[in-house]
Amino acid sequence: MKSILFCCLALLSVSAFATDDPKVLIRELNKKFAVVQDYTAKVQMDFAIPGVKMNHMSGQVYFRKPDRFRMKAKGIFFLPKQNPLQQIGSMLLDTSAYTSIISGYETIAGHHCAIVNIIPTKDNAELILGKCWIDVANPLIWKTQITTRNNGTIETQNQYGNDAKYTLPEKMEIRLELKKIKVSRMIAGDINKKSKPKTAGEEPLQTGKISLQFSDYRINSHFPESDLQASQE
Amino acid sequence: MSLFVATLQNEFVKTIRRPRSYIGFGIITFICLMLQAAFYQDGKEILSTVTAQIDSIFSVQGNILNGNLICFIVLQTLIVQMPLLVAFVTGDTLSGETASGTIRFLLTRPASRIQILLAKWLAGLFYTLMLLLVLGILALFVSRWIFGSGDLMSLNSEGLTIIRADDINWRWMGAFGIAFLSLSVVATYATLLSCLMDNSITPIVTVMATIIVFTIIGLFDIPSFDVLKPYLFTTHMIAWRSLFEDPVPYSDILFSCGVLVFHLLAFLGLAIYFFNRKDISN
Repeated sequence: MKSILFCCLALLSVSAFATDDPKVLIRELNKKFAVVQDYTAKVQMDFAIPGVKMNHMSGQVYFRKPDRFRMKAKGIFFLPKQNPLQQIGSMLLDTSAYTSIISGYETIAGHHCAIVNIIPTKDNAELILGKCWIDVANPLIWKTQITTRNNGTIETQNQYGNDAKYTLPEKMEIRLELKKIKVSRMIAGDINKKSKPKTAGEEPLQTGKISLQFSDYRINSHFPESDLQASQE
Repeated sequence: MSLFVATLQNEFVKTIRRPRSYIGFGIITFICLMLQAAFYQDGKEILSTVTAQIDSIFSVQGNILNGNLICFIVLQTLIVQMPLLVAFVTGDTLSGETASGTIRFLLTRPASRIQILLAKWLAGLFYTLMLLLVLGILALFVSRWIFGSGDLMSLNSEGLTIIRADDINWRWMGAFGIAFLSLSVVATYATLLSCLMDNSITPIVTVMATIIVFTIIGLFDIPSFDVLKPYLFTTHMIAWRSLFEDPVPYSDILFSCGVLVFHLLAFLGLAIYFFNRKDISN
């Protein structure tokens, strides 16, 4: 009986420790991601960017540790300058480069998540503040909010499938705040369209969304280096 | 019918033999090659001024500077100039004959006045078609050969539309079709003026002046001009651009084509009317 009670107490204490200590959550995450040296996956991209009309397109993603990334597709597409696919994993791996604290808890898609704030230790770091919503029961990042010096704030929301054990999402929705992309009537040569009256004050920011649906992950396939080289297509 | 065909052949030969017919081809070739060379040399810099807002947020992947974009820019640039080249040849088809006195000889032939006018008009349309064909080959095919093919980043005042490369060829066919219809209106207008005037230069200058005035009216957002704009054929001459929007505003395009066809038929009808009553005795 004593031993059962001891075991229960020990489990409770570990659980309590895990939910309160961001380092444990990050360590668990890094442990899952540590298995992955490289991966490729098929990706389906959907764009909803204010002022840009662009059909969905498909392509291939290539990633190699620590942060080499390429998205290959036939045609023109836009990715945020601050690419979360490239950034988050490598950002968390270098545990000496940041301090982490839990600032609260929130339920995301039915998962009880700790909001882990990532604060860089260097003053001149590109990252200003990173927030990761990490599932306490099964450490996975369900949501991130990353603010950088040069590229503002970007949010991602993830969904996981079969490759959750490697922390690789099945779907990622990237959200960013931006002003509607506009081209002047004269540059566009669109002389028939009427100019819209300018509203007073600064134009409000709108939310742009890029949805990435991943499938057919191939982990540690050791794809050739040439797949990471960008070429004009 | 054989009489009409013979008259038509005669007009084709006349158009081909006139040195001024080749000026248009020369100008189009020069402008296309000049723009292609400029974009080959400084294209990325030129584009960066347009895409600065996107570049500040996004990393743009893929080849923006491709043959389809160059063709779009060339067509947009030349659609304002090409009517002048068309008018240069079609503006003196009849007035040139009147000025040189050959109209009397021409009208002594067994072909009716309507047949002669239609033959000249069709020869003018054939010339217009040839100009567009040369433009198409140079602007689209040569540009694709130099810059490669790819998705088109079409600019309009609402923002950007990315047209996928595999969805673009039918749009180009439609765009050149609408451009031909637009230039046919100009050719018909020039033919009408050519029926009314007795010297070569005045119809050409009048066509140029009309296009310049109408284009200026189209440029300004002034309420009193807005009333006029839908009735000006120059407003509808750039309807081809709408084919590069997503979704394609088919009803707007059809309306523009309808307005252009109406202008074409009206100008042709008036040309027939005035040419049938033209006094050649003086």
